[in-house]
Amino acid sequence: MATTTATVSISSSDLQPGSSLNLHASSTLMQAGLTAGLELVDMGKGKLTETTDRDALHEALGTIDSANWVYLCNNATDDTHYIKVGIHETVIGNLGAGDWMWMPWNMGDADAELNIEAEGYTDCTIPYEYAIFKTAYTLAASTAA
Amino acid sequence: MATINATISVNSNIMSYPINIHKSMSMKKFQSCNGLEETSGLRTKKFTSATETVVVEQDEFTSTKASKVYMRNTSSDKAHYFYVAKHASAAAADTNAETIGKLYGGDWMLIPYLADVNITVASSSTDPVVLEYMVFAE
Repeated sequence: MATTTATVSISSSDLQPGSSLNLHASSTLMQAGLTAGLELVDMGKGKLTETTDRDALHEALGTIDSANWVYLCNNATDDTHYIKVGIHETVIGNLGAGDWMWMPWNMGDADAELNIEAEGYTDCTIPYEYAIFKTAYTLAASTAA
Repeated sequence: MATINATISVNSNIMSYPINIHKSMSMKKFQSCNGLEETSGLRTKKFTSATETVVVEQDEFTSTKASKVYMRNTSSDKAHYFYVAKHASAAAADTNAETIGKLYGGDWMLIPYLADVNITVASSSTDPVVLEYMVFAE
């Protein structure tokens, strides 16, 4: 069984007056939350251009309502360049330059694709990297005759 | 202006070679080099029913900015999970909502948040389960 662990630390000494913030969490990713670890991963990096509409980073072709995790990082260095992240027609949020996100993704139905779109100055290019840890996935059928 | 730092580490042996992701970020305002300044504060809420519940109200924060939401299911039982969704309902079958995913016991997430609609959760169990969450905003 594969073992995948995800850990986060969040800290700030000046966000809350009079008290510093120190959050720490760690979890081991499981299929359906039980005993088997996730067995699939899709990793990569690419570039988005502002002129194009949203693109599907990953289609929801796995088991519906399953345990999957998304790591995405906007590697832009210009603070005005951000990535709009969504699931199908719902925008989750804006991922700013240098920001990363860690999100569960249950592939609620076949249309629940994960999509990304570059925003910022006209014609800007935004580099990104991602890793998607999955419970299961169905490869698209070949269209070859 | 506050300085809020967040670091993620993901380690896996899924592949035949180790996967090690390590990344840090400083949470900034939308299209700005200045740090986020506001927070909901760290909140905890105990759930004892599977009824969907709004935990993050969008009108507490300015929409279409660079807010972020941290959540953690504090349960030690992996079988107890929360659906997390954007909308008034967190049920997986609700076609009016967009379910994001499931947080099993011990799982955490840190996501950007547009603050255009509420964030809701629904526990899978009537057993007591505590959710920990915090919003970082402009």
